Amino acid sequence: MGENDLDINKTKGESPAVPGGYGKPQPMGFHRFTGVLNAIGSLWIIALMILINSDIIGREFFGAPVRGVTELISLSIVGIVFLQLAHTLWVGRFTRAEVLIGRLLQRGACAGYLLLSFFHFIGAALLAVIFYASLPLFLQALDIGEYVGAAGDFTVPTWPVRFIVLLGSACTSLTFLFLALNNIRQAFRGRR
Amino acid sequence: MSNIEIAFAMLGLMLLLIYTGMHVAVALTLLSFIGVWLIRGDAAIASNLLAQAASDSIASHIFGVVPLFVLMGFLVAIADIGRDSFEVANQIFRRLKGGLGIATVAANAVFAAITGISIASAAVFTRVAVPEMLRFGYKPRFAVGVVAGSSVLGMLIPPSLLMILYGFLSEQSVGSLFLAGVIPGILLAVAYSAYIVTASFLAPDYVGGQRDAEFGAPPLSLGAIVARIFPIAGLILLVLGGIYGGWFTATDGGAVGALGALIIALWRRKLTWAKLWQVLVETGHVTVAVSFLIIAANIFTRMLAMSGMPQYLVQVMATAEFGFYGFLTVYVLLILLLGTIIDSSSIMLIVLPLMLPVASSFGVDLIWFGVITVVAVEIGLLTPPFGLSVYVTKSTLNDPSISLGDIFSGTMPFALIMLLVLLILIIFPKLSLMFI
Repeated sequence: MGENDLDINKTKGESPAVPGGYGKPQPMGFHRFTGVLNAIGSLWIIALMILINSDIIGREFFGAPVRGVTELISLSIVGIVFLQLAHTLWVGRFTRAEVLIGRLLQRGACAGYLLLSFFHFIGAALLAVIFYASLPLFLQALDIGEYVGAAGDFTVPTWPVRFIVLLGSACTSLTFLFLALNNIRQAFRGRR
Repeated sequence: MSNIEIAFAMLGLMLLLIYTGMHVAVALTLLSFIGVWLIRGDAAIASNLLAQAASDSIASHIFGVVPLFVLMGFLVAIADIGRDSFEVANQIFRRLKGGLGIATVAANAVFAAITGISIASAAVFTRVAVPEMLRFGYKPRFAVGVVAGSSVLGMLIPPSLLMILYGFLSEQSVGSLFLAGVIPGILLAVAYSAYIVTASFLAPDYVGGQRDAEFGAPPLSLGAIVARIFPIAGLILLVLGGIYGGWFTATDGGAVGALGALIIALWRRKLTWAKLWQVLVETGHVTVAVSFLIIAANIFTRMLAMSGMPQYLVQVMATAEFGFYGFLTVYVLLILLLGTIIDSSSIMLIVLPLMLPVASSFGVDLIWFGVITVVAVEIGLLTPPFGLSVYVTKSTLNDPSISLGDIFSGTMPFALIMLLVLLILIIFPKLSLMFI
C-alpha cells in the first residue's frame, strides 16, 4: 500500500533515509508553515474518528444518529489530504521508484540531482495548473453558496474545503519549487 | 497521431519516467494532462480535468476508510498486540520443529486481522520475532525471511488497504473483497508453515534452531494467555463482526477499530503524547501518499477513457482469441515485473484502469480477480531490487551483519510459495468466492 510507512516505534533519525534533499529547512521557514497545516490535518483525522464513533453510538444505542456525517466525511477527506500534501512531499514520502535515481543519488552524482530537480520542477508546474484551474471552482462555490447535504435537513458549504484545495496545491507547488532549487544547488556542490 | 497512439505513447513515457524515479503520482498526472491536451487539442480542458479530479475523486464517504484503517494499524503496532499474538502462538507451536517460525507465521495471520498494512506487520515482527529466533539458534537469513515473507498476510487477510484500493477502482464492495481474502490468507499461512516444517527436517543447517521448548521461556499460565488474547480477539470481533453483522459500514469499522486500538494502547500505557502525535503524523503521510495516487489514477483513467484505448484493447483481445487465461498470464507477469520496481498501491493504480475493462469483458468475477491482483501485487513486496517488506525489515533490524541480500535470499522461498498459492487461487476460484 501506499506504503513507505516507516516504523513508528523507532527513534528519530533511524528512519530509512530517502535521498534527494528532503526534510531540509526551506526559505522563510516555509516548511514550518506547511508543518502547521500538516498538524491541523492530523487533528482532523482524530476528529473524524470521534465524529464517526459518536454517530455509531448515537444511532445504535440512542436511536439518534449525528446529522450529516456522510457529507462531513467526504469533505473531510479532501481537506485532510490537501492540508497534508505539502508536508508529505517535504519529508520525501511521495511514492517513487528508487531503482535508478536512488543509485545515482547515493553516488552523489551531479546527474542524479539534476534529474531530481527536473522532476520537482514538473511537480511544481502541475500543482500550479491544479491551483489555477481550481480557483474558479472556489469562486463559484463562494458565489452560489454551493453546499452538500439535503436542503432543510443538514447542509455544509463547500467553499472552505475548496479553499483548502487551493491553499494545499499552492503550498505543494512552492514546496516542489524549493526542492528543485535546492537540488540544483546540491548538484553543483559536488559530493555531499 | 490517433487517440490510441497518443495513449500508447503516454503509457510508454509514463513507464520510463516512473523507472527513472519521478514520483508515480506526478508521472501519472503529467502524462494524463499532456494526453488529454493532445486528444482534445485544448489545454484548458486538460487543466479543468485535473482540478475536477483533485477535489472530486476522493470526496466520498468510503475514502474515510483509508486514514482510519491506517491509524488503527499503527496503533495496534504500538500497543504491543503483535508481541502478544506471537507469545501465544509460540506457546501453541513450541513443541514442533521449526516452532518459532510457525509461531511467527501464525501470529502474523492473526495480527493481519486487525491491521491492513503489510509494512506495519513487517516492522512489528522484525522487532518481536527475529531476536527470539536468533536467540534459539535460527540462522539469521531464515529468521528474517520468515518475518518479511509472512508480513504479506497483513494485506490479504481483512482488513486490507489493497483490497480497499481495488474496491475503489473496480467499484466492487469492500466488504465482499475483505471476505474473499480470508481463505486465500489462511491457505498462504498454512503453505508457509508447511514449508517451515519441511525445511527444518530436510535442511536443518539452513534453518538452524533447536527444539525450542527445551530453552524457551516458561509456559504461560492460562490467565496470561487470556490477557494476551482478549484485546486482539475483542478488536477482531468489534471491527469485522460489526461490518459483517450489518451494524456498520467499512468506514465505521475503521473508526471503531481505531478508537478501540487507541483505548488498548492507552490502557497499557504504551502511548505518550509524543508517540500519539508521531502516529497521527505518520497516518497522515500514508493517507496523503495513497490519496494523491488515487487522484492521479483517476485522472489517468479519464484520459484513457477519452482515448478509447480500453475498448481498443478489449477488441484486440477478442479478435486475437487470446482467451482469458492468456490475458491473465500476461496480466500477472506484468504485475510481477512492475513489482520489482514500484510499490503495491502504485502498481494497482497504474495497471487496473487499463486492465479492468478487459477483465470484465471476459465476464469474470471481479471479486476473484481482485484477490488474484492483490496476491500478485504482494509478491512484489518480496522481490528485488525493490521489495518494500524487505526494506522495512532491514531498516527495523538495524543490524549491519545481516545484509539486504541476505534478507532477499531468505525471503525468496516465500515469494515462490506465494506464486504457487496464486496458481492454486487461479485454478480454484471457489477458494476466494466461498463466502460471497
